[in-house]
Amino acid sequence: MSDHKDFRVEFDAATGVATLWMQMAGRANKINGAFGVGFVAALDDALAQAGLKGLVIASGHRDFCVGADLEFIYQTRDAEALYALVDGLHTTLRKLETAGVPVVAAITGSALGGGCELALACHHRIALDSPAVQIGLPEVSLGVIPGGGGTQRLPRLIGIQPALEILAQGQILRVPQALKKGLVDELARDADDLKAKAVAWIAANRRAQQPWDKKGFQWPGGVQPDTPEARNLFAGGAAMLVQKTAGAYKAPEAAVQAAYEGSLLTFEAALRVEARYFVDRVVSDQAKDMIRTFFFHKQAVDRQQGLPQVASDGFQKVAVLGAGMMGAGLAVICAQRGYDVVLKDITDEALTKARAHVQAEVGKKRHLSADDKQAIAARVTYTTDYADVAGSDLVIEAVFENLALKHRVIKECEAVLGEDAIFASNTSALPITALAEASVRPANFIGLHYFSPVEKMPLVEVITAEATSERTLARCLAFARKTKKTAVVVNDGYGFFTTRVFSAYILEAAELVAEGHDPVLVEWAARQEGMVVPPLKVFDEVTLTLGKKALESREAYTGEALDSPGLRLLKALVEQGRHGKAAGAGFYDYSAKPRRIWAGLRDLVPEPPEDSTVDYIAERLMLAQALEAARTLDEGVLKSPRDGEIGAIFGVGFAPNTGGPFAWLDRQGAANVVARCAQLVADGHARFAPPGNLKAMAEAGATFFD
Amino acid sequence: MGDAYIYDAVRTPRGRGKASGSLYTVRPVDLLATALTGLSDRNDLDTAQVDDVAIGCVTQTGEQGSCIARTAILVAGWDERVPGVTSNRFCGSGLEAINDAAAKVASGYADVVVAGGVEHMSRVKMGSDGGAIWDPSMEFDYGIVPQGISADLLATLHGITRQEVDAFAAESQRRAALAQAEGRFDRSLVPVVDRTGRVMLAQDEHLRPETTAESLAALKPSFAMMGTQFGLDALTRKRYPQVEHIDHVHHAGNSSGIVDGAAALLIANKAAGDRLGLKPRARIRSFASVGDEPVIMLSATVPASQRALKRARMTAADIDLVEINEAFAAVALYTQRGLGFRLDQVNVNGGAIALGHPLGATGAVLMGTVLDELERQDKATGLVTLCIGGGMGIATIIERV
Repeated sequence: MSDHKDFRVEFDAATGVATLWMQMAGRANKINGAFGVGFVAALDDALAQAGLKGLVIASGHRDFCVGADLEFIYQTRDAEALYALVDGLHTTLRKLETAGVPVVAAITGSALGGGCELALACHHRIALDSPAVQIGLPEVSLGVIPGGGGTQRLPRLIGIQPALEILAQGQILRVPQALKKGLVDELARDADDLKAKAVAWIAANRRAQQPWDKKGFQWPGGVQPDTPEARNLFAGGAAMLVQKTAGAYKAPEAAVQAAYEGSLLTFEAALRVEARYFVDRVVSDQAKDMIRTFFFHKQAVDRQQGLPQVASDGFQKVAVLGAGMMGAGLAVICAQRGYDVVLKDITDEALTKARAHVQAEVGKKRHLSADDKQAIAARVTYTTDYADVAGSDLVIEAVFENLALKHRVIKECEAVLGEDAIFASNTSALPITALAEASVRPANFIGLHYFSPVEKMPLVEVITAEATSERTLARCLAFARKTKKTAVVVNDGYGFFTTRVFSAYILEAAELVAEGHDPVLVEWAARQEGMVVPPLKVFDEVTLTLGKKALESREAYTGEALDSPGLRLLKALVEQGRHGKAAGAGFYDYSAKPRRIWAGLRDLVPEPPEDSTVDYIAERLMLAQALEAARTLDEGVLKSPRDGEIGAIFGVGFAPNTGGPFAWLDRQGAANVVARCAQLVADGHARFAPPGNLKAMAEAGATFFD
Repeated sequence: MGDAYIYDAVRTPRGRGKASGSLYTVRPVDLLATALTGLSDRNDLDTAQVDDVAIGCVTQTGEQGSCIARTAILVAGWDERVPGVTSNRFCGSGLEAINDAAAKVASGYADVVVAGGVEHMSRVKMGSDGGAIWDPSMEFDYGIVPQGISADLLATLHGITRQEVDAFAAESQRRAALAQAEGRFDRSLVPVVDRTGRVMLAQDEHLRPETTAESLAALKPSFAMMGTQFGLDALTRKRYPQVEHIDHVHHAGNSSGIVDGAAALLIANKAAGDRLGLKPRARIRSFASVGDEPVIMLSATVPASQRALKRARMTAADIDLVEINEAFAAVALYTQRGLGFRLDQVNVNGGAIALGHPLGATGAVLMGTVLDELERQDKATGLVTLCIGGGMGIATIIERV
């Protein structure tokens, strides 16, 4: 037996099986420089054992291996050095799979990214049959591609089409799916069972070879590369990808391309092709922006860094006022986490609908037993009587967006609540301070702005009013953790953060349409930039009537007198009964299948401006949102650009490929943005006046992120 | 620069491009050799006088790989000192071969060149040769789509409706049936015979004379599912963001037929023609090949024709008869309208919708067709144009002498 700091080899002379244990410093095995050195040394040790019959790669940590060290991937811009590192990794993995002894991956925990690729370089993969184990290649969701041979080994292991799905979508699989798709070969009940199976497999497969190293290798799935069938698969995969991404994401394209080119080559040359695409993506801006936001920012926000903490919210009973889609959804997520829920509305009819919604949603949860589902549904009680709300620890109101109504509800409800109870409003825009005026316990009053459908949308925007206590915030943050929501905490102000950015988006689209720009181009421009939903489509979904009401409400709170061609168009559409998707008529005509932009729009607006281009439209849509985000920061509503990235992407579908509105501004450059704004203001679009922080940054040449 | 003349044009009948087609059992090289032999036999040609044989062929793999032109020369029993070249400009290949031959002759680098094309689509499948165009990066970077999507996009962009393409297709069938019945193709046709001399096919067999616009209206669009469910329509948005939805109007009944066929023409300068004792039928006035936007792909017939007209110092009004390859009905309609031709001077004997489109041969086939018809109607000038994959177009103008 020999010892390394992070890697050690255990040899069982009786079976001839060596186990290479990975247990790197820290909490997880990551692929980095230390891995390269340590793994090779341990592998050499293992291979030098006299009487070696086989090798098991195992982890001493909870996870098998979580992939590349993202700190390093985020920092590096040195293509030359990175290529050399990747080349070294390929050499190591080739050595592993061609050493002449069978190698088994003991997947006792998650094998993701480079960890999955390490497992793919073994001859046999046995995974622990546990819901905690995840296997997959999620690289493209961080703007990079697999760099440890994943784009080459996976299609050769499971076939072109299933591999392309995993590679292009960055899929992470649970163990049963991984077995079905062929990423793992066998399941084990526990560590002992796994070890026994590994030893048995080694004994039975002394001459194990990777399929791609065997003479006369045939690709699985029946489609061989460089055939019309293979070309169709790649062409189809590429097209489906572009249909989904509108070309905004470069990493999945690179993954498909590397798989395609590599499919035509010898295995080792194919690895070099992958390495070139990998390095090209890693050093790209898109990868940096996506890693920063989706890894570092997301992790920091999820850990609620810098925010007041309590271990537990102390809530047992949660009341939700208003049993619409949102109220019923809130009941589902609370009941699912063990809270007793009271869902209150003023009519039995609303409650009946809500009950059906709760049951349908709970029924969808496939991983739960019938008993568990029953228990969750049984935790929700439905009432029209405030008496049943008594004893609640948290109340979330989700009634109509009307100040007087909300004030009345607050008063009526607080009358039955205890001293310690927290009252939260799910308003999407009304200032919490104004709502709290009706509260007898303003320290216990807070905004919890959820997004629809709340079962799916991962964000909650937490709004603290002037009087909101630290303890109230801390308890609500604990509640967010328990209900698995990412919480972004902002200060109060009309529309808070997310609603302001979202409004800027859809209202800018309305302006563009009102100026005569082709609505079809407006929708496409947004998609081209990576916006999750095109603005007119989502405007129709939230309804034009709501948009109009929100503007009236904003005028009331901000004292701004809002008037513009876009707002006049909005009013005209509402007056014509074009209220949105639910009404079957909005910016779109829903009688056509598929929906089409309403032809009558053309008659309500001038001819398209001569210089109308997709890029011009796209710039205005993005700039409008990014400027609004910067304003909220400048005004102190938003506490940090980091929160803005998470809030905008997870709350209102800001283009994930950009990393968020602040990363987008950084890539444009503050000076360029300020200059562009000056031009737009000169063209009569006063709303593009940049906030002070951007002007100062333009002067200083500063950026939001390093 | 001198002149290049067309002395003669022959072609094989077009067989249905599937295993049940009459030419399926004929080797591609025999098909081409049939055209070559037909040409040399009826002109009593001393093949030793032929400087080159230029053949267009698209799918140059399998039995059509490795320069089929040279092998066909040997199979045809031509003088073995005659060289052959096989070139690929996709669907423009047959006409490209004529233009290349004309260029060699007119420039004085050759005296006698045989030009033509071959495509045996039942035996060598379209697309089976692979190619750089299939690389996924062409989709990512350019939005390249299959031709059917391009054709539907062309129709959508120019407001060409399903009714119009179906009506056009039905008319193609009507005209082709009439032409066949009246024997208008007979001057060019060389029957394909087996080794004992039994005729395997003497007439084009792809026609469906019973077709009407109403019967076509029942057919389902061929590219709708591919376009919407497999994402191909979305690829076009980068270039055509203004197209909210592509109107899928094309189907098997208003697109070109898949067939087997070959054609050959004798092209020479006047002195060589005199030496061979032959009489020229037409002079090549001009030609042009152009590249254009590759996503719409099929619209370069118009700029190619315009360039050829300009080179000939002509306008559309100077052209008597036109052959526009009916790759898809919308292409023919778009080209006819774009160049300002009347429908009654375009594809007067039908086109590829009825008769079929043997890819690499079609340009050469159409040249023979327009020449025969100019003579039948005693008219002077003809233009042949084809749309080409990858966003190209080709056109050639001839004038009877």
